[in-house]
Amino acid sequence: MPWRLLFRNVLGHPVRSLLTIGSVAVAVFLICMLHAVTSGLTRTLSAAASNRLVVQSAVSLFVDLPLSYQQKMAPVPGIEAICKWQWFGGRYEQDKGGFFAQFGIDPETFLPSYPEITIAEGSYDEFAKNRSACVVGEALARKYDWQVGQTVPILGTIFTRNDGRPWEFTVAGLYKSSSASIDEQTMYFHYDYLRESLETGGASGPQGVGVYVLRLAPGTDPLGVQQAVDGMFENGPQRVQTTTEAEFNRQFVSMLGDVPTLLQMVGGAVLFAIFFAVLNTMIMAGRERTRDLGVLKALGFTNGVSAALLVAESLLVCSLGAGLGVLLGLVLEKPFQVATAAFIPGFGFDTNTLLLGAGIAVAIGLLSGLVPGWRAAKLTTVGALREVG
Amino acid sequence: MAAEIDIRSVTKTYHRGGEALRVLDELDLQMEGATFYALMGPSGSGKTTLLNLVGGLDHADSGQVVVGDTDLTDLDGSGLARWRAEHVGFVFQGFNLLPVLSARENVELPLLLAPLSRQQRREQAERALELVGLADRMDHKPRELSGGQEQRVAIARAIASDPQVILADEPTGDLDRTTADAVLDLLQRLNRELHKTILMVTHDPQAAGYADKVIHLDKGKLGRIDDNRKATGTGGRS
Repeated sequence: MPWRLLFRNVLGHPVRSLLTIGSVAVAVFLICMLHAVTSGLTRTLSAAASNRLVVQSAVSLFVDLPLSYQQKMAPVPGIEAICKWQWFGGRYEQDKGGFFAQFGIDPETFLPSYPEITIAEGSYDEFAKNRSACVVGEALARKYDWQVGQTVPILGTIFTRNDGRPWEFTVAGLYKSSSASIDEQTMYFHYDYLRESLETGGASGPQGVGVYVLRLAPGTDPLGVQQAVDGMFENGPQRVQTTTEAEFNRQFVSMLGDVPTLLQMVGGAVLFAIFFAVLNTMIMAGRERTRDLGVLKALGFTNGVSAALLVAESLLVCSLGAGLGVLLGLVLEKPFQVATAAFIPGFGFDTNTLLLGAGIAVAIGLLSGLVPGWRAAKLTTVGALREVG
Repeated sequence: MAAEIDIRSVTKTYHRGGEALRVLDELDLQMEGATFYALMGPSGSGKTTLLNLVGGLDHADSGQVVVGDTDLTDLDGSGLARWRAEHVGFVFQGFNLLPVLSARENVELPLLLAPLSRQQRREQAERALELVGLADRMDHKPRELSGGQEQRVAIARAIASDPQVILADEPTGDLDRTTADAVLDLLQRLNRELHKTILMVTHDPQAAGYADKVIHLDKGKLGRIDDNRKATGTGGRS
């Protein structure tokens, strides 16, 4: 195999080679990213706890539940703790375009219900004691350079203060999460702080609770609790839907549409586009080298070597592209992780992602090289030499 | 041992646009080894076709082409490729050097098919280039060489693996007279000093004057064979 000729052929058209390598790199990068998103979603869903149920309105997640439901559900056998969750939908005053989630929760039941969460800095007791305190994820604190003890102004978009000023929360602690289903970019504060402000006329916004999270006692049959809770509010005033945490997460993701299928379709379209681009390049390269192939055959190189030269060239270009694409992905993995942490806490490259990127590039290289390779093998020496170069 | 070439009742027909064109018609021709032959004739007389058959680039429709001890009609495509690598060197009118490789690398190409180490290949290619007077142009790409130099690199490539037969198709067709004479001198030297059997297709009577014998083809049949050695008393143009 004339390896030197192979490398020289690639280097012989530097612009074309670089453009092809660049196209493959972008495609591999995109495929890796899309795979990281879909596998991140899967990880997030599969990391959901089995001993937590989520109670939401049967109408929609956007319809609040009455506050009184907490007391009514408390006696249901198997429920160990109930934690209110209310979506706040605020913006940090210094970064109005930025997004992160804020939830009003019950401090006394929140941390015991989520053993995946640990306080890395500050004190959860301080948080529990102080009505206007909050705990924030380490990643969020890093993003805005928030310190424990600092007061952060948050502008409400759903819940607005009637004096026109932002809400003020004092950071009492920074948490970290050991689970893919819980991100480190969220702010948790006292639900009661919000409720009192609404009740005293200090703020305006919808009354009620977004969802209730039920922590089940060990050995409890979740289905029994689900049926009991759903049955309890069958006749109103607000019907509820009780689901496992995994199912709730799945429904939340599916509100955006069938994300994995959508991403697979985008990935497939990218693959096809790049495959045809590389195929076109390789067919062009094969045609340009018709005479060279004739010379090689005249010198005694077999049809197989002539074909292998083009297949190997295609593989080389695609492999370089794959390497570059994977490298780009690895470099940008962290920033993407930060950007998507609120939606896909499990986002990240794994071995499968990298193998998928590399495998796709090799497949494109092989398939794109086979067409001109087949033509090269079929060329007669005399016909190839007659070709006007 | 220098090759003898035996063409026995060879016929070759091409089909173009539904029309059958018999290019070689029951041709019989015997060529001695270590002899420089020029092959002449009008266009379409079958010169290049005969060269391709002798070089194992094409198959005859009928008849036999025997070079040395090998009957080429018995060999399949890969058998012919192996045979070409060992026994024949080609020089083309358009030089046909690979533009991305240097002169040395072009000459090394056929040596990749021989059981040689990298060092041996390099040395053998350099010897061939020295023989054609291009020791100082080894690392130049074809585009950095003149037409005559390119053709000399092509000749070095043809002799690098030390084949018995060198086939040249209009090797001076793209060259000016002075350069053409230098190339023909070189081919003559290869015949006289290294005893290569050379078969050269040409339209140029002056080029044919360098050969020992001139074979004239006409409509796919043998016309006549002129022996320049008898004419000059020495053997071709000196």
